Amino acid sequence: MRLLCAVALSLLFATALATASDAVAAAPARRIVSMNPSLTRILVAIGATGALVGVDEFSARAEPAAASLPRVGGLYSPSLESVVALQPDLVVLVPSLEQREFRTRLSSLSLSVREFDPVRFEQVLDTIRELGRLVGHEAEATARIDAIRRAQDVVQRAVAGRAKLRAVLVLQREPLFVAGRGSFLDEMLAMAGARNLGAELGETWPRTSVEWLVGAGPEVILDSDSDPAPAARYWAQWPSLPAVAQGRVVAVDAGDVTLPGPDLDQALVTLARALHGNALALDALVAP
Amino acid sequence: MKVLRPARLVAVLAALGLVLLTAIAIGLAWGPSSVSLREALGVLFDAGSTGPAADIVRRIRLPRVAAGALVGASLSVAGVVFQALLRNPLADPFVLGISGGAALGGVAVLSLGHALGLGAGAVPVAAFGGALATTALLFGAAGVRGRLAATTLLLTGVVFNAFASAAIVFLASLGGMAEGTSIFLWLIGNLASARSELLLPLAALFALGLACALPLSRTLNLLSLGDEAAEQLGISVEIAKRVLLFATALMVGAAVSVSGLIGFVGLIVPHALRLVLGPDHRLLVPASALAGAAFLVVCDAAARSVLPGRELPVGAITALAGGPLFLALMRRQQRRGLIA
Repeated sequence: MRLLCAVALSLLFATALATASDAVAAAPARRIVSMNPSLTRILVAIGATGALVGVDEFSARAEPAAASLPRVGGLYSPSLESVVALQPDLVVLVPSLEQREFRTRLSSLSLSVREFDPVRFEQVLDTIRELGRLVGHEAEATARIDAIRRAQDVVQRAVAGRAKLRAVLVLQREPLFVAGRGSFLDEMLAMAGARNLGAELGETWPRTSVEWLVGAGPEVILDSDSDPAPAARYWAQWPSLPAVAQGRVVAVDAGDVTLPGPDLDQALVTLARALHGNALALDALVAP
Repeated sequence: MKVLRPARLVAVLAALGLVLLTAIAIGLAWGPSSVSLREALGVLFDAGSTGPAADIVRRIRLPRVAAGALVGASLSVAGVVFQALLRNPLADPFVLGISGGAALGGVAVLSLGHALGLGAGAVPVAAFGGALATTALLFGAAGVRGRLAATTLLLTGVVFNAFASAAIVFLASLGGMAEGTSIFLWLIGNLASARSELLLPLAALFALGLACALPLSRTLNLLSLGDEAAEQLGISVEIAKRVLLFATALMVGAAVSVSGLIGFVGLIVPHALRLVLGPDHRLLVPASALAGAAFLVVCDAAARSVLPGRELPVGAITALAGGPLFLALMRRQQRRGLIA
């Protein structure tokens, strides 16, 4: 859970830099270094694994297809030299305070760098589309985007007319972080028929307190822990929570949900089922 | 030094006791969720109450207020003791490296614990282990030839803190982003993770520290007079110094283990009280305990309440509130001509 929450939390540090583009060669990239697990997973999902020549530590741990690739450091410790030594024709990263200096130095070494900022739902889709274009896998990228759009449509129709459930999506329990306002998770919660209580905290990835959560009284707690037992144990401490009283603490695997990557269709289905139960009519969705 | 009249002692401590009670009331009644003071008091004194308000007041705010009071009192008393013991006005509870050791222990669990199968519950235990190890190191390094020299103690502490920071940076860069966030939040200090089962050991070690500092407060007065005066008093001063150092180290270790590094309290509260009450440690030690507790309880209430629902690190609030407060106090005393 922690690792993949981490991915979402990395956006906590993300700056609002636009996806500024350096001069990128028109020919498809053949030697790519990815500095972020979301981007790595998108590249793998659109069939560009072969073009990856190096990844950051988190990608290597989170993405089996990238596990054996050369590693070029983590969020706090990106290794400029390791990246240069791989002679990439493209470096892709998510802008963060930690890697701002790193990015500047990559550019100063005339390396081609692209930044992506997949915070909102549409931005994630744009990222998939743009990465597809950069590696010459437009068809695969479009197919992925279409699948996500289809899931969005089916899920929204399935939950239409149902009461909006008051829900929180817990990214990490101690310290407590929840999905706040304006991220793809906030938007997907709305699509899946929830009222995201975390949105009232204003920030995108707010750090909050148990007191706020107990006071807010969610009907459903979605805990991004791949293991349901500790999540249930932890929240059972607070029996006055409606979600606990009604047995509606649901563990949603962070790998499926909180990564702004290529699998938002599955994430939507997971969220909708976690909120409304398995009886929800999602048969229109063919298995991915 | 002036004679300390019992009436003054009682009056000052009673006044500060009232301040602490007010702070506790604020801590229990003020929070991100709307629980009125009446409602808070209602569920507080009704052991059978259930529901969100009862959970919020009895199980979330109460342990946190208690932890805040104990940590604030521990840090302030430690500040007074170290400032006298080291004859250094800049000494704070963290100067001797005990905090560095505790932080290193805690950060080791935060960054590597996941791989070793240790949960967040192991953090305070490991931190306290780090504090104990540092205390042993301090005695070993600075207690040469049967004497604890202030300069050697300070140097050992400063060097060890530098070493600990380096090791912490190393450990933090090994961990992932979530670990990085946890480490950062833990290092700046917060009471959000102060679980109620930690309160008893925290209270016990604070009681031990206070039980050593109170009877030895006359010795602290003598120690702050200077080397020669203290030396003439012979071996009993050495023993007193060791007892004080050991008990205070344990107290600081416990406080840091529970709350991380909450800065400023241990530096500012003793100095502020010294400005107002004078330099007599028989008054300063108990007054610091009460004032430190009240200060941290109010700062923590602010940390969890000023931005509704959002949790701010209390260490940032203590510094933001404590700095200007102290400067204002100092200016007032300067105008009165009480200090240069």
